[in-house]
Amino acid sequence: MFKDRKNFFYYLGVLTPIIFLILLILIFSSLHPRFLHPLNIFNVMRQISITGLIALGMTFVIIVRGIDLSVGSLIALCGLVGAVIAKGGLVERFSVGLDTELANPWYWALAGSVLIGLLAGTLNGVCITKLKVPAFVVTLGGLSAYRGTALIVSDGGPISGFNEAYRWIGQGKIGMVPIPVIIFLVFIVLCHIVLKYTVYGRHIYSVGGNPEAARLSGININLIITSTYIITGFFVGLSAFILSARLNSSEAVAGMGYELNVIAIVVVGGTSLFGGMGSILGTIIGAMLFGVLQNGLVLLNVSSYIQQIIIGIILILAVTFDKFSKSARQV
Amino acid sequence: MKLLLKHVFSKFALVMLATLYFSGIASAKDLVIMTSLPSMEFPFFVHMQKMLDQEAKSIGGIKILSADGQNRVPKQTADVESAIIQGVDGIIISPIDVNAMAPALQQAIDAGIPVVTVDRYVGGVPGIYAHVGADNVKGGEAQARLIMKQFPNGATIVNLQGQPGASPAIDRNKGLHNILDGKSKYKIVAEQTANWSRDQGMSVTENILVGLSSPPDVINGANDDMALGAMEAVKARGLNVKILGFDALPEAIAAVRDGSLMATVEQFPGGQAKTALNLLVNDLRSSMKPYNRVISLNPITITSENYRKNAERIGEVK
Repeated sequence: MFKDRKNFFYYLGVLTPIIFLILLILIFSSLHPRFLHPLNIFNVMRQISITGLIALGMTFVIIVRGIDLSVGSLIALCGLVGAVIAKGGLVERFSVGLDTELANPWYWALAGSVLIGLLAGTLNGVCITKLKVPAFVVTLGGLSAYRGTALIVSDGGPISGFNEAYRWIGQGKIGMVPIPVIIFLVFIVLCHIVLKYTVYGRHIYSVGGNPEAARLSGININLIITSTYIITGFFVGLSAFILSARLNSSEAVAGMGYELNVIAIVVVGGTSLFGGMGSILGTIIGAMLFGVLQNGLVLLNVSSYIQQIIIGIILILAVTFDKFSKSARQV
Repeated sequence: MKLLLKHVFSKFALVMLATLYFSGIASAKDLVIMTSLPSMEFPFFVHMQKMLDQEAKSIGGIKILSADGQNRVPKQTADVESAIIQGVDGIIISPIDVNAMAPALQQAIDAGIPVVTVDRYVGGVPGIYAHVGADNVKGGEAQARLIMKQFPNGATIVNLQGQPGASPAIDRNKGLHNILDGKSKYKIVAEQTANWSRDQGMSVTENILVGLSSPPDVINGANDDMALGAMEAVKARGLNVKILGFDALPEAIAAVRDGSLMATVEQFPGGQAKTALNLLVNDLRSSMKPYNRVISLNPITITSENYRKNAERIGEVK
């Protein structure tokens, strides 16, 4: 099947995340009878849709050799802004309780949340491209500053208790399929098409593969790079809203450490941290891999200490195999 | 030109010095107390800081220098060191780490500054002036006792633990096991961390509920956030499971009132803060008494029967 060793490693690398995913599913389903229960499958799907949405944006960012560490903090800020809008101002920020009357309907909250995400994404992108500060530093600053802003907005406490229409976005279902999963699927298709079949998508790959060559061929690389952060900001705003609807609450501690989960998903999915390579489908596999892993380990009641070790090992293994393929391709 | 600048600068410096000097005299009688809590990202400590500021105002003549540890030992250490240099009259601190904060606090004590710890301990520093806290082990035991009281015929229990390695997580878990271990009627059917967070409280509970062949009787959360997340997961499945939280945050008190949570545990963060401040200020204004006192507040469970009377933050619940 394979002409030589190089080819073998190439295919091994491409298929690694899928092989890992199938292996995990086989192991968990043989160890726990209810692992493949439809309820559980939709559980996993719903749980990965929030980090998964952000991972879609992060795929764009990492393909153009960027990184966005600010997404976890931005989730908290976007979610809180949405909640404040829904509650009709800062006066109600300490309000607690269930099923409160909302001052503004859910779509204004969603719009506010997404708007803040877009603004923050633009800010990240402009600082990186115009001020020439490395993305790592800019978004590390964002990680701290957005969290701080979220704490000011909320004064440290949660904003909870939305109405049924609001919660439906995070908790509702159509048939058996949870709403967040439907939203996730729609954007998977959209992002896949944009990245694979549009001129913009091809520009993303060429900026990531060789920025200098892309610039010489007339691509506005600053615009392309900035746009990837704006896309990520959009997804952060969207998923922040879904998260707050799911939890019936927004708080300043939401999304802690999400940035690393999201980056891990994208990297395990085969997107190269050195840019130019990656795919939406890979990211989906990465998201499912982590979702299945976390779900299965909890089902099997594995101690949380050991869980962290297992997740770490799988992450390294998956990327190690991936490296084989990359080096095979470059030789 | 250069001379002129120099002149202006020296004048400016003189004025600055004078201002500093006079402002120093004006507030000479004020006690300067440095407060340092682990992280303002947790509502528990935000509330504690508020109570410290409020109490300082109501006592009067106290200047609070508050520092946020940002959950990083080096940050909290640096805060303590700069407080020593500023020559504060006393330090009220909740150490982020039981061991790692010891050197900085020893330094403060060596500089003659009395140190009172609240809520969390520091180990191996014999000169600590006093400790005011609620015992997390006792809090976990209180949860277990309440479960036994509500389910005299036994129960299946899901235990949502705090962040692995955090001392309150270890202690609360220990308390629960102290009482329930060896009692065959009470069975912990699943035990997982949800890292103090609400979204993990929800997703871990969803996963556990799917994995169990029959739903548990009780979900015991090591804090309110995880319990409130579990509550949403249970609601989504339409199950009848009793849920316990810990910390008595206003939201949890409201949920206890509405019957969505069975109970939460009150550790009186405000009471701890006020007690610590009063003790320190009284002693600073009279004469210092021998150090190393431990004042322990007993954590209690807050249920629908007693929330009105015993929940410290009932005023914030609408």
